[in-house]
Amino acid sequence: MNWILTIVTFLPLIGVLAILLTNPPKRGSENLVKGIAVVTSAITFLGTLLILMRFDPGTPGLQLVDRFDWIPSWGIQYFLGVDGLSILMVLLTSFISMLAIASSWNAIKTQVKQFYIFCLLLETGMLGVFLAQDLFLFYIFWEFTLVPMYFLIGIWGGARRVYASIKFFLYTMAASLLMLLAILYMGINAGTFSLPDLIAGRAAFAGAQDLLFLGFFLAFAVKVPIFPFHSWLPDAHTEAPTAGSIILAGVLLKMGTYGLIRFNLPLFPEAAYRYAPAIAVLAIIGIIYGAIVSFAQKDVKKLVAYSSISHLGFVTLGIFSLNAAGIQGAILQGVNHGLSTGALFFLVGVLYEQTHTRDMSAYGGVWKIMPVFSVLSLIVVLSSMGLPGLNGFVGEFTILLGSMGAESLAPRPWIFTAFATTGVILAAVYLLWMFQRVFMGPAETKEVKGLRDMNRGELVIMLSFLLFIFWIGIAPSLYFHLMDSSVSALVSHLSSTLMALR
Amino acid sequence: MNTFNLAPLILILPVIGLLLNGLFGRRFVEANPANGERLTGWLASLMTIGAFLVSLSLFLSLLAHGFEPIIVPLFNWIDIPSADFLVNWAMQVDTLSVTMMLVVTGVGSLIHIYAIGYMHGDPDFSRFFTYLNLFIFFMLILVSGSSYLVMFVGWEGVGLCSYLLISFWWARLDKNGVPANANAGRKAMIMNRIGDFGVILAMILLFWTFGTLDYQAVFSGAVEMFEANHMVAFGGLSVPLPTVLTAVTALFLLGVTGKSAQIPLYTWLPDAMAGPTPVSALIHAATMVTAGVYLLVRSNVLYEIVRTSGATILGLISTPNLVAWVGALTAFFAALIAFSQNDIKKVLAYSTVSQLGFMVAAAGSGAYVAAMFHLVTHAFFKALLFLGSGSVIHGMEHGHHHLAHAGHGATHTDDDGFDPQDMRYMGGLRRRMPTTFIVYLIGSLALAGIIPLAGFWSKDEILLHDQTYATPIFIVLAIAALGTAFYVARQLIMVFFGKPRHAAAEHAAESPALMTTPLVVLAGLTVFGGLLNLPYLTRAMAEANHNHPAGIFLMLESWLEHSLASFELAEEGILALPRTPVYLSLLVAGISTALAVGGLLLGYLVYRGRPRTSSEPDRLARTPIWWWSVLPLNSLYMKGFVPLFNRFSVWLADKVDWAFWHDFVHDRVIRDIFVTGAEFSANVLDAQGVDGVVNGAGKTTQRLARGLRLTQTGYARTYALAVLLGAVGLLVYFLFMAG
Repeated sequence: MNWILTIVTFLPLIGVLAILLTNPPKRGSENLVKGIAVVTSAITFLGTLLILMRFDPGTPGLQLVDRFDWIPSWGIQYFLGVDGLSILMVLLTSFISMLAIASSWNAIKTQVKQFYIFCLLLETGMLGVFLAQDLFLFYIFWEFTLVPMYFLIGIWGGARRVYASIKFFLYTMAASLLMLLAILYMGINAGTFSLPDLIAGRAAFAGAQDLLFLGFFLAFAVKVPIFPFHSWLPDAHTEAPTAGSIILAGVLLKMGTYGLIRFNLPLFPEAAYRYAPAIAVLAIIGIIYGAIVSFAQKDVKKLVAYSSISHLGFVTLGIFSLNAAGIQGAILQGVNHGLSTGALFFLVGVLYEQTHTRDMSAYGGVWKIMPVFSVLSLIVVLSSMGLPGLNGFVGEFTILLGSMGAESLAPRPWIFTAFATTGVILAAVYLLWMFQRVFMGPAETKEVKGLRDMNRGELVIMLSFLLFIFWIGIAPSLYFHLMDSSVSALVSHLSSTLMALR
Repeated sequence: MNTFNLAPLILILPVIGLLLNGLFGRRFVEANPANGERLTGWLASLMTIGAFLVSLSLFLSLLAHGFEPIIVPLFNWIDIPSADFLVNWAMQVDTLSVTMMLVVTGVGSLIHIYAIGYMHGDPDFSRFFTYLNLFIFFMLILVSGSSYLVMFVGWEGVGLCSYLLISFWWARLDKNGVPANANAGRKAMIMNRIGDFGVILAMILLFWTFGTLDYQAVFSGAVEMFEANHMVAFGGLSVPLPTVLTAVTALFLLGVTGKSAQIPLYTWLPDAMAGPTPVSALIHAATMVTAGVYLLVRSNVLYEIVRTSGATILGLISTPNLVAWVGALTAFFAALIAFSQNDIKKVLAYSTVSQLGFMVAAAGSGAYVAAMFHLVTHAFFKALLFLGSGSVIHGMEHGHHHLAHAGHGATHTDDDGFDPQDMRYMGGLRRRMPTTFIVYLIGSLALAGIIPLAGFWSKDEILLHDQTYATPIFIVLAIAALGTAFYVARQLIMVFFGKPRHAAAEHAAESPALMTTPLVVLAGLTVFGGLLNLPYLTRAMAEANHNHPAGIFLMLESWLEHSLASFELAEEGILALPRTPVYLSLLVAGISTALAVGGLLLGYLVYRGRPRTSSEPDRLARTPIWWWSVLPLNSLYMKGFVPLFNRFSVWLADKVDWAFWHDFVHDRVIRDIFVTGAEFSANVLDAQGVDGVVNGAGKTTQRLARGLRLTQTGYARTYALAVLLGAVGLLVYFLFMAG
């Protein structure tokens, strides 16, 4: 037992307790609550950095394991561990949570205590999802994340928040139930819920692997979301408060892509090969469809929401290339999307807080009024567009590179690559159009003329995003280094089954 | 002693400039406009001049060290060991990259200095110079990168700068309230991205063929595999190398048509004239748009392997030939379109497209040195012409302001449709702006190809090459040269000769020395630029030197051949590169001079003293030539494809995604099924008395069903909590079952 993963995972709960102990909401106690939440999330972030320092990138397997029997009669264990597939996700979670919580300082005015409690609960849930190595434990964390996000949208969201929150809840819940059935089937058949044991003993359920694969796939596909399971996303993204949107885009969607890599690939490799072309087709439809639909949006948050569908299409394509370049690109692109889309939602939040509209036709000429904000926004937009030198390009290019060498997409992988690459053109089409409508043109309306530029706090948050946007763009080797041996092990696991298939 | 270690400085200096100007420039200018402008402007200029001096020292070091390419590694970029994918930030200092560096920083420095005068008084003065330094930075990455992927960083980066600078005045609306500047910038970026689509795919193909994107490794790998007749394994198929390289080179061509404004993607460049004139000179004439030519020349080995192998696209045409034809047709059509332009900068824009066509045609025909030669001389004379046109516009605006201030301008306000860039309002400017006139005349004659100006020599080399190896291309280019001389004459007459057709032209004034000095320097380069690659004057002289460069003859060729591996491979008999003749052919020189003089004469005859007034229709407006000049590609895109895409996008978003998929399928069909099922389970299953847990679950779903109907009532939160409880119940239930 190392305890460090357990401690970090449940660290946010200490903040929750502390907030509960504060006096009933009065004017003065609100800053205390906010302070506790920010400090807790910052400490949690430091905790994940500590995990990173103890992490050995050369080891492909699980590290810093916390493992003991929980319900022995059913083979359920409390089992946390981290490896190259999850280390970046853990860091992303604590980083994005910290920034999302900090960004809410002025935005949340009602039920402040509850808001931060839900944020911190959510953080624990998300960390648990990325660290749990027992399927039962994983499922508990997985479902648990729904509850705080449900309330974040439902209480502090926009005009249609109730509808959006219920839809988000039901949609993801319904799909997860199929995964639950799959988990129970496997666990009961194999007598264990621990992932490494299940992978080793997967002969026990190999006969049913197509159905099991689909059970997991549906749960994750809804979460990602992979076209056509995306219908909940525009509602949830649009109606969520800024912090909710940042976390939703930054982390929650990555739970889906992470799940595909963590569970679908090693547990059902044959099925993964069998379904790879079909899923890649869905991924590419998502890339193109998300981009085109995004272009037609008038609501800037909805535009960003649909752009997520397009971006995550790239990630999905990378995963189902089933080779090292594709999967590493996919993991990194998950981080990149978290950074750039998280930053985009933050920026939209800065505007929305002042004007209370998301309609792009209400803007125009913002650059003139908010020069600093606009230049930083431009950089984020370019990162989202995949401009080389910024983070998005590294991920996108690696994914496209992987897809063209994908044996899973043989005999003509380049057709997939060629269609996916059109996403690069379309991203410029919808993002530049968005940028022009909001930032360029004459500043005409009173609302726009009355905008103030970023304050110091907002600037600090934004620069934190940008630090990583540039770092990953210019020197991503460290990030690839962290995942390389784990991905390499996963890929050789996959290709050994491919050999067996032939 | 060499200075290769200084190479990173060419990147660091512009970064210093852009950071200082970006962070503090606005404050400087606002605090003290005159000194602030001087400070930011000269800071940016000095950084570029510094980069020029470093480039010069690299040039000298190469001279002293036998011209061998030097790789200057910086640090790791992308390194994925398990995928064998490694790209480093590294610079390649060789004769080709140093040539480009010298052009970029040399011409760039002059344009920076000119811009201090031109942009004087602009509220975004510091932003402009920040962008200019950013552009120099990316352009130098483009030309100095040692691998395709690093080159691509610059390639996209200069596209970004082009976008930012075209839409520099993004707040402006045109007469119809259209944000024309912002639209033009966006159009440029998107057209370029269509080209980049090709470059990305080509790079990925190269990686899976050679396992690397470094130039040297790709080229040596390509030659080895070509000699060994090696097959390339691709996604389970086995493909001959020339087939792969055909795809790669065709995809690169797509990138070239975007960046270097060739058919079919050239339509962004004329719109790009919305940017400030120094930008048109620097980015859209002298440097960025030549990046495509650079890519072709850099990839010469790949193109020559395809040419030697005889591989074709679907049995129709080999990629080098396709490149040559794209270039030749672009040269021809763009020259024709230039006839019909009245905006002084638009004429130059189409002229640039046309001249880039000459370069691309040259590269496609295998005349790589001639392509680079024309790239360099064109950078001189076209930068000169654009800056000259900027001086003219500046003068016209001055005249217009003068009118307004003099008080007798009531009829000459903006209401009369006056446009300082419209040549119909000009005329007779040679008297008002003598310096500008003389340098503009020199630039124009060089563009027309009049001996002994720089443009003559470089164009002649291209024509001679194609007359020797590809007669049809030669004929098309020769007609394009005739057209060039014709529109040059038309422009000169409309701007500088005749009588002023607008009061603004009568009161135009010469530009300040800060602007005219760079013009004079560029004029000097335009006069003497031909010496860079002077051919042997007779065949006998060439043969006496074994058809190889020597002394003052063909200096550029003897310099560049160290970077053009296909030259050496041709001598070894591995590649069949058509070598450009090295002497002055009296036949070709005679033809091209006759065409140039003839075109100028024809232009003189048609436009002498015309138009008499600013509203008089063009003399050719009713001739068929006018119709030929309208290549309908831009209309096809802007009136056909773009509206179609917009409509499709709205239909997909509103009808398919929202009305059908979101509202109908999810909120109606799925919901109804769910509600019905829930009611069934509650009423039927519960009534038959299943055990307690299931009963509870059933009740929960029943409540949920009601909750769904009651979505609007505000109680929904409670019901959704019930869903959670139901789920937990389900979990517990399964646990009991398992036990």
